[in-house]
Amino acid sequence: MYEYIAKNRAKTVVIIIGFVVFITIVGFALGYYVDYRYGINSNFSILFMVAALIISIIVSFSSYYYSDRIVLGLTGARPISREENPRVYYMVEGLSIAAGLPVPGIYMIEDSGLNAFATGRNPQHGVVVFTRGLLENLNDEEIKGVISHELSHIKNYDILLGTIIVVLVGMISIISNIILRSFIFGGRRRTGRTAGGGALSIIFLLLGLALLILSPIIATIIRLAISRNREFLADSTGAMISRYPAGLANALRKISQHSDVRTASNATAHLFIANPFGNRAKAAFSNLFNTHPPTEERIRRLERMSLGVGI
Amino acid sequence: MTIGVIVVIAVILGIALILVLISIGLYNSIISLRNKVDNAWHQIDVQLRKRYDLIPNLVETVKGYAKHERETLEKVINARNMGIDAKTVKDQAKAENMITSTLKSLFALSENYPNLKADQHFSRLMEQLNGIESNIAYARQFYNDMVMRFNTMIQTFPGNVFARMFHFSERDYFEIEEMEAREPVKVSF
Repeated sequence: MYEYIAKNRAKTVVIIIGFVVFITIVGFALGYYVDYRYGINSNFSILFMVAALIISIIVSFSSYYYSDRIVLGLTGARPISREENPRVYYMVEGLSIAAGLPVPGIYMIEDSGLNAFATGRNPQHGVVVFTRGLLENLNDEEIKGVISHELSHIKNYDILLGTIIVVLVGMISIISNIILRSFIFGGRRRTGRTAGGGALSIIFLLLGLALLILSPIIATIIRLAISRNREFLADSTGAMISRYPAGLANALRKISQHSDVRTASNATAHLFIANPFGNRAKAAFSNLFNTHPPTEERIRRLERMSLGVGI
Repeated sequence: MTIGVIVVIAVILGIALILVLISIGLYNSIISLRNKVDNAWHQIDVQLRKRYDLIPNLVETVKGYAKHERETLEKVINARNMGIDAKTVKDQAKAENMITSTLKSLFALSENYPNLKADQHFSRLMEQLNGIESNIAYARQFYNDMVMRFNTMIQTFPGNVFARMFHFSERDYFEIEEMEAREPVKVSF
């Protein structure tokens, strides 16, 4: 367990370093491009690179502190009050006591799909998020199963890694998108204006292609960083907290039928308890981003625990 | 001194140093586990206090409707006072079991007083009490998990050596005596 937490922390550091390196390289490339285009002495490449380095370090630090809020904003989650839903408050409080964790913030997404996730940088700043559909369609035992699963993610520091990935990797794909577009459109405008226009557009085209390739690579990074095992681990730790694996197994059975969440994106999908693209998952690209093990397998393992076979 | 002797001394010192470092690590992990047990106990205590605070309120409310049930009410109050005075985990567990069972007879009694059952204040108190009782159960689960880890640590080698040296003693589980109060056993790990 402690090695697992240490591993999550180490992966977070690797992701942050990767982000800083990537942004610095982009900064250098931009500066190099400016130098090349305007023919000034090669100072811009260094200048841009240093600026990018500083900015990326600042962004990394602030993403450590604010990425949970960004994730909540991206998914359209809002805090719910005790008066609004005392039932879920009682359950979250009780299970937090059983898990030995501080009581996390409780948020809800207005969506009829059945899903849930946890975010935050550490257990002291943990947040659990449910969709309205989940709270309305599951019984107490099933919701307790889901809560225990999310509390396990908090306890294991899966939330730190998952949340940082959303922001930093998401930012990289946005940046590469912007660069890609500006090269495509910018390149077209310039053709014929300068003598070396033809050569330049070829360079831009190659750069654009390279960035196009980047997108799936980013998806692979997410997949590598987030092993599918973490869902199995959270399932079994969750069963230890709720002492009732069948609750989560039944919940997963219901969730897998209607797990679609409108506000989920490729950047946030890995956080959810079940693939938020549910039926959309068959689309070609989402398979690349598939960070969830098959639900049937998870249910099978939980049922083995119920029978006392253990894992 | 020959080189051989120096090497032997260095090796012995090296091994001694490693042993000292391992011992420090082990000692610290025993202490941190013991603190976790204490903290888990504190969590139970918080919930128990909430229940103690609620009981006088509840008794007063019931009194208003069921004046002739003095005996049952007194039992509840006595059990509560016993819980407050309890010093050891075992005494505490005993008192809490008593509180739980006397409260049960109090609720059974409320069935005979429709006006009491209809009282909004009473039903709100009941709801709170149910919440607290399930929290007590959860806190007990966490405490017992921690006690199990601590006890295992100081019963197995090499923790048992330290336990003897530094007088660490095993902690008591917070147990439920009545069979009916036990939660259904559905899982075995």
